[in-house]
This record gives sequence, structure tokens and C-alpha cells, in this order.
Amino acid sequence: MIGHNTLIVLLGCAALGGASGVVGGFALLRGRALLADAIGHAALPGVVAASLIVAAFGGSARSLGPLLLGAALSGWLGLLALRALTASGRIRQDAAIGVVLSAFYALGTVGLSIAQAMPNAAQAGLSHFILGQAATLTESDAILAGALALGCIGVVAALFQPLRALCFDEAFARSQGLPVRLLDLVLLALLLAVCVAGLPAVGLLLVVALLIVPAAAARLVTQGLPALLALAGALGAAAGAAGALISTRFENIPTGAAVVLVGLVGFGAAVTWSRR
Amino acid sequence: MSEQVNSYSAISKRAFLALPCFALPARAQAVRRVALATTGMIGDLVRGVAGPAVVVDTLIGEGVDPHLFRPTRNDTARILRADALFYNGHRLEGRMNDLLERASAQGKPALAVAESVPRSRLRQHEDYPDAADPHLWMDPMLWAETLPAIAATLGHLLGVTPSPAATQAILARLDDYAREVLAPIPAEKRLLVTAHDAFAYFGLRYQFQVKSIQGLSTEAEASLARIEAMVRLIVERRLPALFTETSVPDRAVRALVEGVAARGHRVVLGGTLFSDSMGRPGTYRGTYEGMMDHNITTISRALGGNAPERGLNGRL
Amino acid sequence: MNPPFAVEGLNVSYAGRPALTNVTWAAAPGLTAILGPNGAGKSTLLKAALGLIPSDSGKARFFGQSLEQARSRVAYLPQRASVDWDFPASALDVVAMARLPRMRWWGSVPRAEREAARVALDSVGLVEFADRQIGRLSGGQQQRVFLARALAQGADLFLMDEPLAAVDAVTEQTILAVLHSLVEEGKTVLMVHHDLSLIAAHFDHVLILAEHVVAAGPVAESFTEASIAAAFGGLPGRA
Repeated sequence: MIGHNTLIVLLGCAALGGASGVVGGFALLRGRALLADAIGHAALPGVVAASLIVAAFGGSARSLGPLLLGAALSGWLGLLALRALTASGRIRQDAAIGVVLSAFYALGTVGLSIAQAMPNAAQAGLSHFILGQAATLTESDAILAGALALGCIGVVAALFQPLRALCFDEAFARSQGLPVRLLDLVLLALLLAVCVAGLPAVGLLLVVALLIVPAAAARLVTQGLPALLALAGALGAAAGAAGALISTRFENIPTGAAVVLVGLVGFGAAVTWSRR
Repeated sequence: MSEQVNSYSAISKRAFLALPCFALPARAQAVRRVALATTGMIGDLVRGVAGPAVVVDTLIGEGVDPHLFRPTRNDTARILRADALFYNGHRLEGRMNDLLERASAQGKPALAVAESVPRSRLRQHEDYPDAADPHLWMDPMLWAETLPAIAATLGHLLGVTPSPAATQAILARLDDYAREVLAPIPAEKRLLVTAHDAFAYFGLRYQFQVKSIQGLSTEAEASLARIEAMVRLIVERRLPALFTETSVPDRAVRALVEGVAARGHRVVLGGTLFSDSMGRPGTYRGTYEGMMDHNITTISRALGGNAPERGLNGRL
Repeated sequence: MNPPFAVEGLNVSYAGRPALTNVTWAAAPGLTAILGPNGAGKSTLLKAALGLIPSDSGKARFFGQSLEQARSRVAYLPQRASVDWDFPASALDVVAMARLPRMRWWGSVPRAEREAARVALDSVGLVEFADRQIGRLSGGQQQRVFLARALAQGADLFLMDEPLAAVDAVTEQTILAVLHSLVEEGKTVLMVHHDLSLIAAHFDHVLILAEHVVAAGPVAESFTEASIAAAFGGLPGRA
């Protein structure tokens, strides 16, 4: 008999894991896997700023909505900064990611230091955004996660053919008159949405794992893109559910970490399977 | 020394005369001593004992969690500059240990308030074998046991030991009030559920079972296993109320309310308690007396006691 | 009658150095080879006309229209497709991507389009490999898959950048056969070719470039020793 809280956390993490797996599949193929890491780290100043603003207006620092909005905005700024750095072609993407990631995270840490000196800022549990707080997902959090998962999967399904063409051969897709820039933006927006949604669950340090690990595992053992996406989604969802259940049995394992560890076990299995 | 006095009188006679004059020891000082306390609870206590002879500043502000507090360069300078230092000890200021030890070794009067009480009177810290549970202020009488050491330290600072009698009286009055308004609560309802483990001493003195979701430190994430266990306990006992805390995120408590509701029992948020930090400075709840008055009254009213709505002094 | 491909006053430079100077040329139907030494601007001509690289000035017309208008009638086969060969796609999947403008965006590829892709694969002799992952094909087979993709577009004009470079003999023969059958259907093929062999035997027209037009016209008239020398530089000792 599963308790209510466990069920909520299980469903929420499963939904997030599933959406992350599917979107992560495309991100992986597009060479954008590390962007998830950049977004996660870039979200920190946004979360802190949002909590400071909410506190300044006398609002309750507890509600997740403004914090996630702040995370999304600064995550988006991070992506823009990345684009600006790589536009000239003189800075490679991996270097640019390192720069943006550390700059934003450092800014966020300064913000945390300022925030901690303000009354009731601790209420927002800002430090929990770093490692996640999946165990305390509420029903509304889970519903939001479910809606997000459905939305992401819906978008991916609706745009499956052009997204596949974009990821495989962008130049060809452009020559066919596909709105390549728009499609790329849609993909980035999906990536941002899934990263930001994953913050309360696994924290910004691990959100990249939720996106990459199921997709990387699926890539090893599938042929054909629909199979890859389906398996990545299934693995992500399974990791979410199993992680939640494991953290019910063992008090010392934070839920977010359990989810990622299960995902890594799945990855290990995929590596073994693909070698036989 | 005499050159100092000459230069002071050279500055301004009026300024000099405006300063309070006390029977101070041999060093002619024109300004009051500054004692720095880490938490507001300690600051309030020291201020009560020291009186106007000393300026008492507080480092960690209202609503800020001392477990997580990381000092900035400014904070470090204040600590090292202060004439006397009062901190809690037993790992409450978890991120400042090295700094506090360094400041104590400077030679100025310094006191780890919680460590001045004999270890036998204290609970063991759950996570650190060498430390005790640091939340002494939750029990007014235990908190009162730190007064002699505080007075002695202030004596080293000022040359004359002030009397803690007035403060002792306030704490004793709080204790009487608590015992009176908590008495009517029946045995099975004497369960205090909060976000983190700050209320153990309160529970010991006033016979409450104390359970928290996050354990002793606010840093760790609440665990799902613990939440489920708490849900079962609350439903079993049909507990009427849970409590949130001002300086600790309350996501966990809210998750608990939901889980309990799913099992058909309605538990409410009985109120927000002050655990590791007091209320706004300058208000009643910004004093130790006000903070404890608020806590006792809130707990009593939520669990079936007979505390008046406006508390001990009618000031809530 | 609009020529299938025409450029007028095309000037292109890379980092300040001229790559193409004032190129004006119109293609005739049939098979045309674009020749020239290294750096002559052969690939540049195609890429600039297709808008893949910026040009300083000039226009390009496809069947008398701009590229946006005539897009569905133009197919481009680049020199080396920069794709991830580990991409989870079969040869058929890749060729079917050419049918995208005719398909709905969601769901799987419709049967009619899969058939068209299969026909294209057949014409390059790869229909047995339809379900093989592209990463498991040889270099020549991969090249043929991309040719099949270009064929599947249903275009009337084919621009190809060195499709015969570094392929095995079988692939070379297959590709040439495909090109001839395209011409027989009335399509136009412009092909950048890396060397001077095969010209006389297979091509109808040539365009010889050396940053500018050196010679253009039917093979018999324009593919001469003089024009080759003018483009590639004369032998030592000759004027």
C-alpha cells in the first residue's frame, strides 16, 4: 500500500523523468546535451532574484511559481549569452558553456549570500534548489509536472518529422524551406521548460543527468528515432518512479539523487546489453 | 594613555561630556563597549543582564537560519572587532565554527553560551557525536542556567559583574505561564510536529513528544520515508495541528498536511513558531520573552490548551 | 524560355579575398560539368547561388524565379554532408526526409512517401539496404543514399558538388547512370567535377572557372586545350 505522499512524488518524478527523457533524446542528437547543465546553473540567479523581489513586495516566499519563473528567465538569459558568445565563431560551444555556467552560478551564489541576510528568505528554501526537494512535492506540483510532460510530448509528437530532419541535417532542412530557426527555438524552449521543471525535484546540479542519462542509454540500444525517444521517455519515467520508491525505504537517500542513480543503473544495463 | 585623553579633549569637550560616565577600570575609554551576539536570543539575554553599560549587537538577523548562515567579510570584521563575543556553540552556527574559535582565541571575553551549561543537562546532538543539541533557548529554565556564565563574562569585560536577577525573573515567569496553559492538553495530543528538530528541550520540560521532518539541521532534504512515517503517526494520534517555523522552509510541513488529508484526517497548520530566530527587532516578538510567549500561546491554543489569545502580557 | 539556372554579376569574396568575380552565366538543359583548378570558385558558385554563403553582389535565378519561389524544383547535393553518421536512421528514413514538404508533420511517414523513397533508393541500386542504419553503410553507399535523397525531392534542377570524388568504381558507374537517366527525363544537372576525366564521354556542356568565367558552352566547343590551359595555367614555356 503506497502512501499518498509517495504516490505524489512517484507520479511527479515519473512525469518529469518521462518528459526529460524525450526532450533529452532530441537534445542529445542535436549535440545540445550540456546545454541542460548550463541552464541548470544559469537558473540560480533567477531563483534568488525572484525570491528577493517577492519578499520585497511582501509576498510569501514559499510559492514555487515566481521562483520557477525567475529560473526560466535567467535560464533563457543564459542561453542568449551562450548564443552571443558563439556567434562570432571564435569561441567554441564547450568553452562558452563553461563560461556562462560559471558566471551565472557565481552570480547566483553572491545573490544567495545577500538573500540569506534578509528576513524570511530562508523560507524559500533556496539552497534546496541546488540539490532538489523531491520528497516534498505537493499535489499541485505533481499536476504541473504531469501537464508539462504531456505538453512536451505533445509538441514533440506534433513536430516529429521536421524536428528529426533538423537534428539530422540542418542545412538540408533549411534548403527544403523548413523554418529552421523557429524549430530550433521550439527545441530550446522545450529544453528550458523541462530543466526548470526538474529543478524542484532533483535540483540544478542533477537536472542535466535527468535529461542526458535516459537518452544516452536509449541511444545505445535502439535503432530509429521513434524507438529512441520512446525508450528514453520510458527509462526516465521508470527512474523517476523507482527513485521515489527507493527513497521511501531508505531515509538517508535524497529522492533526487535516488532518481539519478537508478537512471545510471539503467545506463549501465544499456551499455552491457549493447556490447553483447 | 595620557596622550589619548589629551587628543580626545582636543576634539570636542561637548562630545566628551555627552558620553555616559561609568566607573570604568584604569583604561580611559570614551565609548561604550560593544558585545556581539550571534543569534537574537543570545543578544536579548546579554542585553538584559548587561544593561546600558554595553552596546549589544546581533550578527544573524531576523528570519535567518543560523545553521546555514555564512559570514561575509563585513560580518567577520564585526566579530573580530567586538570587545566581547557571545555565541551559542554546539554547532548551531555550523558554518562559522573556525571563525568563532579564532575570535575566541584573540583573548577578549568570549563565551559559547550553550557550552557553559554542564553536558549532563543537555541532549546529545543527533548528527555530531561531540556536540549536544544546541537549541537550549526553547526551555526558559535551561536558558536561565546560562546566566551565571554570561554575567561572569560581562564582568571580565566591564570589571564589575552585573546581576542577572531581573532576567532570571522574566524567564521564571515564562516557565510558570507555560506550565499553566499547557496543562489542559490531554496526553495523546501532547505531540509537537514541526519542520526541524528545534523543540526538544521544550518537549522535555513541558512533557511533549517532539517530532520533526527534517531532523536537527535544516540543510538536509526531508526524506520521503520520514514524511510517510510522520503521516502515519499524525493520523494514529488524530493530532489537531502541525507547526511551521519562520526561518525554515515549510514545504515539508505542507506535504505532510496533504498526506494526512489523503487518509481522511484533517490536521491544520496551528501557526508559525519562532525556532532559530526571533521576530522583527523593535516589536514584542523581537524579544526573547515575546518569542517564547508567542510559541507557548500558539502551541497551547492549537492543541487544546487554555492560553489567552493575547498571551502572557496581553501584547500578542 | 527561362534557363533552369542563371547567375548575373555574381561577386563573392572570402575574408577580403575574391573568390568569384563578376560571373554571369546561364545553364542549358542537360548535363553540365563545372571545372577549374583548386580555389577557382566552383563550389562557391553553387553555394552563393543557393544563399548558403553571402555574396557581395549579383543575382541567381532558377527557372526565371528566385530560390524561395522555385525551391521545390531545386535539389542540392553538397560535397560532404555534415551529418552525424550515428544518427538513428535507416537509409530509407534519410531518403524519406526529402518528401517532407509533401507530408504532414506529425506521426510516421505515409505509405506513398515511403514508396517514393524506395523508388529513389532503387534507382541508385540500394533498395536492399533500405532498412540498414546509415552508419553501417560504406562511404560510397552513403554518397548514393544522399543522391537518392536528392532524387526523391522530385526536383527538376540538380546542383551537385563533386559527387564522384573518392568513390569506388561501382558507385561511379551507378551515379553516372542515374545522371544520364535524369537528363533523359528532361532534368538539368550541374555538377562540380574535380578532374578532367569523363568529360568528353558523359557531359553535354562545361563551365570552366578560374575566379571568373574562362569558357562556357557545349563540350565540343568549350572543352579545349586552350580553355583548359587558360584556367589551369599553361605548361612552362608556353605563352
